[in-house]
Amino acid sequence: MKFGGLTAVDGINLQLKRGSIHGLIGPNGSGKTTTFNMISGYYKPTSGQILFEGEKISGKPTFKITRLGFARTFQNLRLFHSMSVLDNILVSMEHLARLKLPELMFNPFSVRREENSFIEKGRQILELMQILKYENEPATSLPYGLQRRVELARALATEPQILLLDEPAAGLSTTEADTLMDIIFQIREQGVTIFLVEHHMRVVMNVCEQITVLDHGRKIAEGDPQTVSSDEKVIEAYLGQEKEMEKC
Amino acid sequence: MKIQTNRRNLLLTAGLIALIAAPFLTTNNYQLYILNILGIYILLNIGLNISIGYCGQINLAVAALWGFGAYVSTLLTVDLGINFWIALPLSGLITAVLGGLIGLPSLKVRSHYLAIVTIALAGIINMVLVNEREITRGAIGIMHIPSPKIFGFEIASEFHYYYFILVMTIIGYLFARFIIDHRIGRNFIAVRDDYVAAQAMGVNTAYYQILAFAISGLYAGIAGSLYAHKINYVSPDIFGFHSMMLILTMTLIGGSGNINGSVIGAALVILNESLREFEDLQLVLYGTAVVLIVLFFPEGLVGLFDRIRQWLANRRKKIPVSEGTP
Repeated sequence: MKFGGLTAVDGINLQLKRGSIHGLIGPNGSGKTTTFNMISGYYKPTSGQILFEGEKISGKPTFKITRLGFARTFQNLRLFHSMSVLDNILVSMEHLARLKLPELMFNPFSVRREENSFIEKGRQILELMQILKYENEPATSLPYGLQRRVELARALATEPQILLLDEPAAGLSTTEADTLMDIIFQIREQGVTIFLVEHHMRVVMNVCEQITVLDHGRKIAEGDPQTVSSDEKVIEAYLGQEKEMEKC
Repeated sequence: MKIQTNRRNLLLTAGLIALIAAPFLTTNNYQLYILNILGIYILLNIGLNISIGYCGQINLAVAALWGFGAYVSTLLTVDLGINFWIALPLSGLITAVLGGLIGLPSLKVRSHYLAIVTIALAGIINMVLVNEREITRGAIGIMHIPSPKIFGFEIASEFHYYYFILVMTIIGYLFARFIIDHRIGRNFIAVRDDYVAAQAMGVNTAYYQILAFAISGLYAGIAGSLYAHKINYVSPDIFGFHSMMLILTMTLIGGSGNINGSVIGAALVILNESLREFEDLQLVLYGTAVVLIVLFFPEGLVGLFDRIRQWLANRRKKIPVSEGTP
């Protein structure tokens, strides 16, 4: 992936196994976010392609990619600030909705019915995330840890096949991170494939089955947590960063 | 809960009775005329509010769309002899389509640039109305537009038209309420709050942006038809930039993002208009009010009420931060 003259990501070959939890790690600037954004449809790769079940999805508009079964969270939390927690979740059900425009505008009965079924589903997800009691609060009035859960709930509400998590553990305390790991396992139980970019090593090592390591835009290692954590190149990539930081 | 609903119903019924009785409380025809114009501006405001307030799409072509709707309805009835009751919804629909087309630039530009583009498109519409003399009779305008007839009865006087506009305004309000309170409204707000996140959640933001523009076109078209057949005359200069600014001010003062604000804003500005006797003082008051509201109450008067209510509610409960850690 090239941005003008800068090659952010060069020749990465990545495969996600269905039902697995796959992590992407690497020092700052290694191209993790760029890769993540390519997979979630934010960037169109300048060369190469992203395939989902054999079909090319790179270059498609984001909302279409979501409808194919990809959901993502945002590292910086992009909740809808004018809405309640429940409404935030309800937005995600948009692509599951079946009513067309004429009905939406003129048939209050079917609209009511569809809304109620969505509210049902939404509440179930909020229940899973243990935030049901906040359903009517403005989403951004919640404390940070809870807002993260709303973000996660919102992505889940799209009923994805693949869940892409962008640094889900950022800013979480130890206990909060533990809950996050539990939630991730629960989500996997439901058959969702999970792909996450993360800095928080404890979370990555405990949760991921497969880990891909990037450095300077290239893949330098891949494997299960054991293999990766003892890989020389990986250690050097991270330590190398530390040495540079010490110089400053 | 029960008590609140009963109180609300009581207020609604009282309000309805007041609205029905209003014409009998007025002392002259001019006041009735003001009320009728108010109704039309409320419709225009609701349309604008849905586009700007709820969906975040700045549509400064609403006044021009109003004019377009007025002309469409006029030409349908005067030139093509179509019945008013068919011309009315038809103007609404045709103007909605034009509104949607005007919305296309919103897919490429946002905010200030979108405002400029819509102003330009409004200018084009106005130019067409002035220059296509063969169709529109140009700057002279079109006279003797027929008043609506229902079962042979002609709705011509201010008094009779009042009830007609009252019904249309109530329908317009309820329809907007219905849209806003459900899926369409929610997606509009999602687009406004964060269109990137909205797309990530599977919302086709382009579709909803165009829809917002189309709906403002629908309201403008209906308002145009009501206007043309009320004063029985149209000309291009009624629907120019100054009208657009008036409508925009109403939305700002009343509160964008809340259709109740559309009603309040329209009412206040119309009231202001009827104080014309005070001339210079009126202008000073008006200008000061607008500046104050834009600076301190960006959500308008409705927002002010909401803020007070919210502040009172927040003082009673606070979510403890400790609940963030399970």
